[in-house]
Amino acid sequence: MTESGPAISIQSVSKSFGDVRAVDGISLDIAEGEFLTLLGPSGCGKTTTMRLVAGFEEPDEGRIVLRGDDVVGVPPNKREVNMCFQHYALFPHMNVERNIAYGLKLKKVEKGERDRRVKDMLALVRLEGYEQRKPGQLSGGQQQRIALARALVNRPAALLLDEPLGALDVKLRKQMQLELKRIQLELGTTFVYVTHDQDEALSMSDRIAVMNQGVIEQLGRPREVYEQPATPFVADFVGVLNAMDVRVDEVTGEDLVMMVNDRDRIVVPIGPTGTDAGVGASILVAVRPERVELSVGDPATNGGSRLSGTVGQVVYLGTLTQFHVDTSIGKRVIVHHLSDDRSSTVGEGDDVVLTWTREDAAVLTAS
Amino acid sequence: MNVAVSNNGRRWLWVMFWVLVVFLYAPLVILLIFSFNDRELVSFPWEGFTLRWYQTFLDNAEILGSLRVSLMVAAITAVITTVLAIPASIALVRRRFFAKGLVSGVMLAPLVIPLVVLGTALLILFNAIGIPFSPLTIAIGHIVIALPFAILTLVPRLERIPASLEEASRDLGAGWLTTFRQITWPLMLPAIFSAFLLSFVISFDEVVIASFVAGDEVTFPVYLYSQLRLPRRLPQVIAVAVVILFISAIIVIVSEVLRRVTDRKLESETTVHEEEVATA
Repeated sequence: MTESGPAISIQSVSKSFGDVRAVDGISLDIAEGEFLTLLGPSGCGKTTTMRLVAGFEEPDEGRIVLRGDDVVGVPPNKREVNMCFQHYALFPHMNVERNIAYGLKLKKVEKGERDRRVKDMLALVRLEGYEQRKPGQLSGGQQQRIALARALVNRPAALLLDEPLGALDVKLRKQMQLELKRIQLELGTTFVYVTHDQDEALSMSDRIAVMNQGVIEQLGRPREVYEQPATPFVADFVGVLNAMDVRVDEVTGEDLVMMVNDRDRIVVPIGPTGTDAGVGASILVAVRPERVELSVGDPATNGGSRLSGTVGQVVYLGTLTQFHVDTSIGKRVIVHHLSDDRSSTVGEGDDVVLTWTREDAAVLTAS
Repeated sequence: MNVAVSNNGRRWLWVMFWVLVVFLYAPLVILLIFSFNDRELVSFPWEGFTLRWYQTFLDNAEILGSLRVSLMVAAITAVITTVLAIPASIALVRRRFFAKGLVSGVMLAPLVIPLVVLGTALLILFNAIGIPFSPLTIAIGHIVIALPFAILTLVPRLERIPASLEEASRDLGAGWLTTFRQITWPLMLPAIFSAFLLSFVISFDEVVIASFVAGDEVTFPVYLYSQLRLPRRLPQVIAVAVVILFISAIIVIVSEVLRRVTDRKLESETTVHEEEVATA
């Protein structure tokens, strides 16, 4: 046993379908017991990556190593991973008990042991007493949990989940997120989770691999991916983002400064990607909507950025209120503000001032 | 204005419908009437109700012999056609392969080839390679024409079975054979049954190919056709025809009803219900 090694190691793996390079030379190590999410839009290669690990597709190049064994060429039924399918894929002609016991029967686990493990699993997913039901008699959330039990009962080296909550309504989805995380912590099983939903990814994962066009754009903890997006794609895909095209007017120590007019200016620290941007360079500056402060008067900037503008649109989102502000740089900036007494007094057409600290802005690209 | 919704148009459609019904079923009704008519000639006038034509055919060794040949040919055709159609439909639905369109075209082509052409072709082929005509050669011909129907019965069912069910089975440790036995076969079974019955009926009814490649033992439809020249035999042949007609109709109706009922069942079993039942 290589307990210290990664559960799954994907090494320079590529896979094409016809002319389309679905997965383009990705490498990724997934640790034992980790909850790793592959996040990206449809067609980014996340599902293909998972199917490569499960064995439903074979890579054109590269190696896939499961607990130290190269599994390229090994059929799915001989791989020590199990999968939760997007639409559950429960066997409609078998009851819950037979569905869950399916894998154990194939592995010739004897009856007593099998019954005990099926019972344990039903307890884990909180569906005791449902043994005799057919999948058609269960609700979506229950089917989801049976699918989870059917995979986990085999004690796989890793559980692969393909958008497992996609078919559920919002409330149930939130509930199942917590449930999934609880089960993962309780069993300590490695979870590889595929989704296009950034909220799911941020709330459940130990690490997130953001994928786009067959490559991993960024791999990191949820907070890193959200707060320090490595590429414009990541910044745009994870969360709402204001990206501003501006020209550098001044370089002062550790900051790039853009003078908009005599009062308005944008200050951004020279990030790892913007180090060679000098005066006159065009850069893309990003700031999260919830980091922007919205004021009616003339607030202090404290060395940060300041833009004046006019509120174009107010969108009430419950906890938050979203302000779309047409700013002095000619770009609409989105601001999220807690829905409180102050935010309710600002309306469309009001003149406002937007401010944010220098640390809350980041350079995405420089040219 | 739309013909289907205007008052006049609707009346017209109604009339057309009944014209069509009469056109389709009048010959069958006449057949039914004559099978009970107590007259040697198959024509009006009505000379009284009789069951003697039904009685006499049971004593006619030729009719019974031809029926036996037909049943045997139909059984062989149904078994072999179904066995061939299962892997063919799986390949067409589940696999991506080179020139798939062409392959499916070739498999379904017998649907549009005139039976006379097919019969002639088989006659020449069997002669050329020296296979003597027998019920077996008839069955071979019937397999060719029944196969597309069997495939077209299986394909829609297979398309409704999500491929992820088979993948889930593989993922849980089953080889492809176990997956077929445990998952695909039981879910396809109603359609397989339909395909079997359909092939059986197609073979049982077929006269053109059967008359080209039959040896000494002819099938019932061929026998029936040959008896048209002998008016005296006709009434009892008609009686058998009525019996066959009803049996065929019942088989087709049963298989169709079965297919629809189980399709609906599969549909409801594989769709996800959104509402959550409280479980905590």
